[in-house]
Amino acid sequence: MTDGDDPAFAAEGLTVRLGERTVLHDLELRASRGELLALTGPNGSGKTTLLRAALGLVPALRGRVRLLGDATGELPIRERARRVAWMPQDESAFENVPLYDYVLFGRYAHLPPFAAEGPADRAAAEAALREVGLWEQRQRGIREVSGGERQRVLLARAVAQETPILLLDEPTAHLDIGHQLDLLERVRRHCRERGRCAIAALHDLNLAARYADRVAVLSRGRLVADGPPAAVLSEALLREVWGVVADLRRDPASGLPYLLPRLPARDRGPRPETPRPRRVHVVGGGGAAAPLLRALVEDGYRVTAGALPLFDTDLEVAEELGLPTATEVPFAPLGAEARAEHRALLDEADAIVVAPFAVGPSNLANLEDLVGRAARIPVFLVEPTPISSRDFTRGSASALRDRLVADGARSVADLAALSAALAPRADPDR
Amino acid sequence: MALNPSGTPSPRRHMIPAALVAVAVLIAAGAAIATTAAYFELRPSGPPAPGTVAVTDDLGRTVNVPVDPSRVVVLSPNIVDSMVRLGLRERVVGVDCESAAFGGLTGDYSPAQITSWNLTSALCVQVGPTLSVEDLLNKTPQLVLTSTIVSLSDIEEISSTYGIPVVTLAPATLGGIVVDVELLRTIFPSAPGAELVGELQRSIANASALSSALAANGTAFPTVLLVYYVTPAASPSPGYWTFGPGTFGESLVEAAGGVGIAANSTVAYPELSGAQVLAADPQVLLYGTGFGLDLSTYQGAPDWGNLPAVTAGHDYPIDSTLITEAGPTMLLEGLPQLTALLHPGA
Amino acid sequence: MGAPAGPSPAVPARLLRRFGRRGRWAILLLGGTALLAASAFVGPVAIPPETVAAVLLHEVSGGALAPQPCGPLPLASAVCQSRIEIVWDVRLPALLLAAIAGAALGVSGATLQGVFRNPLADPYLLGLSSGAALGVAALFILKVGVAEANIVLPFLAFAGALGTGAIVLAAARRASRSVETLLLTGVAISNLLSAVMLVLVLSNPIGSLQVTFWLLGGLGGATWARDGIALGGVLVAGGILSLYGRELNLLQLGPEVAQSLGLQAARVRTRLLFLASLATAMAVAFTGVIGFVGLVSPHIVRRLLGGDYRVVLPASAFVGGVFLLVANDLALLALPTSELPVGIVTAFAGAPFFLALLYRRRRAVPDGGMP
Repeated sequence: MTDGDDPAFAAEGLTVRLGERTVLHDLELRASRGELLALTGPNGSGKTTLLRAALGLVPALRGRVRLLGDATGELPIRERARRVAWMPQDESAFENVPLYDYVLFGRYAHLPPFAAEGPADRAAAEAALREVGLWEQRQRGIREVSGGERQRVLLARAVAQETPILLLDEPTAHLDIGHQLDLLERVRRHCRERGRCAIAALHDLNLAARYADRVAVLSRGRLVADGPPAAVLSEALLREVWGVVADLRRDPASGLPYLLPRLPARDRGPRPETPRPRRVHVVGGGGAAAPLLRALVEDGYRVTAGALPLFDTDLEVAEELGLPTATEVPFAPLGAEARAEHRALLDEADAIVVAPFAVGPSNLANLEDLVGRAARIPVFLVEPTPISSRDFTRGSASALRDRLVADGARSVADLAALSAALAPRADPDR
Repeated sequence: MALNPSGTPSPRRHMIPAALVAVAVLIAAGAAIATTAAYFELRPSGPPAPGTVAVTDDLGRTVNVPVDPSRVVVLSPNIVDSMVRLGLRERVVGVDCESAAFGGLTGDYSPAQITSWNLTSALCVQVGPTLSVEDLLNKTPQLVLTSTIVSLSDIEEISSTYGIPVVTLAPATLGGIVVDVELLRTIFPSAPGAELVGELQRSIANASALSSALAANGTAFPTVLLVYYVTPAASPSPGYWTFGPGTFGESLVEAAGGVGIAANSTVAYPELSGAQVLAADPQVLLYGTGFGLDLSTYQGAPDWGNLPAVTAGHDYPIDSTLITEAGPTMLLEGLPQLTALLHPGA
Repeated sequence: MGAPAGPSPAVPARLLRRFGRRGRWAILLLGGTALLAASAFVGPVAIPPETVAAVLLHEVSGGALAPQPCGPLPLASAVCQSRIEIVWDVRLPALLLAAIAGAALGVSGATLQGVFRNPLADPYLLGLSSGAALGVAALFILKVGVAEANIVLPFLAFAGALGTGAIVLAAARRASRSVETLLLTGVAISNLLSAVMLVLVLSNPIGSLQVTFWLLGGLGGATWARDGIALGGVLVAGGILSLYGRELNLLQLGPEVAQSLGLQAARVRTRLLFLASLATAMAVAFTGVIGFVGLVSPHIVRRLLGGDYRVVLPASAFVGGVFLLVANDLALLALPTSELPVGIVTAFAGAPFFLALLYRRRRAVPDGGMP
């Protein structure tokens, strides 16, 4: 190679034709160990085909994909499977196999012919399941788990395969925002800690920008941009490749680019009657508020959060973002001091956002403090799942939630709906 | 969708030819074994033991059978016929039945035979669709007499596995019926019906004397259609089922001094269309009755009413068992009846 | 749809699990042998149960036990000899053949369901049985040598099944990924082969009676020799197949995922289909076409023991054998004096089961669990 050492993954002049259509044109792309490369591009740009060509599932018309130096087509299937693992976009199991066995399937390429799995294989499966947090549930059936859990099982199987290269095809498809972040977080950690090379086809540019070390943009089968997210993602690129007009922002905490697409029709829409709230308070806990905090900060609001126990994920994020918070020691009921702090923040807020946090006896007061406020200022309940699934107070939380709604609080499904509800105009009023 | 990348052979391209080759090899191997292996030849018997006699049956097998056996299973109506006429009815402990489950004997026995030969469902051994070995063994026979109704593998199984000799009596000609009765007399030297062979020989001699006399007279033999079944005009392939060359029906017609209109057919049991029968224009039309067939059945055949033989009144019924079962009854009753119908004056 | 059974095993599995690996096999073998022996008490000829039991003891012990199996009748008497022959040489070979053929169909069905990821796959429904039947019918009708030849039959049946298997596999590759397409392909091929067979039958009416009976499926012609040949073939096919449990486990994820995990998916599929054809042919060659055993057995196994093919393959063989034995007993109990073809009984049991599966699948499919 030109730079002295072999990259883990290298597409060299790769041209793939499917039927009459040339899906990839003369593609050159490299990725190295320890790197998470996001492959993005509009539908039909060739992301999935590139991954399939690397796996040897579609033949190359010209050129090749090298895996640790050897072309895919020249590697025996077994050896291929020891170099590259695949997390397919859609996989359905025919049999209802326990998760543990399902992850053990990833060890097949390491087994001698007709041999049973050994201690090393079982250890790898256990480690992979622990890595995705499903070890305790290993005896559940693959057809019984949720979509998010299934994606994590697929990741665990790819991890158990112990390959230097991981190919992920839309790993966050069908997942809600929390699971999307969680999964990519795990992939990035795996990459860095184990020195793996991961290539993920991702639709969501903001996820790509947040997690990838490098972003490669495909358009109609050609590579049109390749580099760090900050260097690659631009309003011009979005317009050219996706035909979308968007605003490019910077995450105040990380400096990473963040794209907010605009719809022309909305852009010209009438100004809403309600004034845009400037100061937003987020009630959360256990990580439920973290994505909201980031997004709201990026949207230009002054954000406060509380009341959160020390060491809470949401608190860490809030502090990372430099937000004012109300805090309490962990696992204790909220004390008078913390509640007073919290009420003060609530009093100053122009709008209140309630994150989908798990409500227990210790943080029920967070909801109690909201009573009566919904009549005065906008209160938004972010509810991807019904409160009943997060209510560990024997119904007190659910009753409070219904009371808030009765007072005028609005329930929104996700972050996007929240953004729209907070600011019907896409262009923020700074 | 191609599963393999370039570089490794595509499975789709190679699988079907490979399968075809495998299929061809298997067929060839099967055929080779079938044509060469000695396995398929029925085992010859050793020298006869004391108290037994060696007979050569109609399959050409030499079989050692006990002399004068007292328990015999007879799996063909024509052989039961011979046994009865030889006075050996009480030795018959089992006969062929299509289905004993449905109340008895539905084989090729006429109701008259079932009554007069005293056949009951207790005698039943199932042969159709396959031989019930269990039924057969339950009769504890010392000898099995059968026609070609029993397959060779069953014969092999009965004789080698269970040590029961099987003698196949399947005459090919009218004379063969006499030969088979003589063979039975070899097995049953004490059989009462000693005069049967002579009667059979006389019947054949009478018929052939008549034919010779007619030929000497210069009398032309009448053309005959001996039909044993018809498919009605309304069915998809209507027609007349008759006897072709090499069959007993045809031999009977010839022996009785007639000429079968299907005597030169390429098929043993041809089906003739109405047009074919009209064109052949038989002078005499004989139809087999019994087993649910009567004149009304035959009248449903295409062009039945237009046939000159029918309009002239030269159509006659004949009992089917007399012309289909190659036993003594065929010679002693069937042949004289046919002769009388074809040559009423003689 | 395919396998709604949870991974938490049902009661029978938990009960079996209490015993060790050897213990489990011992229990299954003992149970199977007991069923085999019990089935010998039923048959067209009424033999007193104590005589059947005594004959079994007498023969198994080589005459040491029950020296006078027929009670007052002396052993050497013709009647007693016929009793011994009926139980030991007629009934037992037929029962053993039922067990062997059932096992072959069961393991073949499990393999086909895994290879095609289709809960409705079965050697009968996919046309493999018809293919094998055509091979055998060709022999019956065309009279290559002597019909019913023990050694030639399996060869021709195998050739027929293999040819059909290749067609079905090719069709499955080309066709869309729906369950029904594969089945309809099988049905179409099956009908085509039946038509070919009908032409052969019509060309030779004498062979047709035998073919008709044999097509319904029966155990009538069983002998120890035929059992030996069938058992040999089934042991070879089933033995090799049971080594492929892990591969089938991967194949049920779909050929592409299986390949990404290091499995030569195309090659293994072909190999498995070859072996399933062999097992099917062994059953069809000696018993004719018996349907639904291959469909039902793997589903029973999944319910009881879960969907791991390392377990499903041998267990389906066992369940298939038991299924056919019981079906044969039922046939004899229903119509004791007329040997009702066992294929009719399996059709009575299996066809409603098939419809139930199809209906349940339609109701439960929105997740698109099928390939």
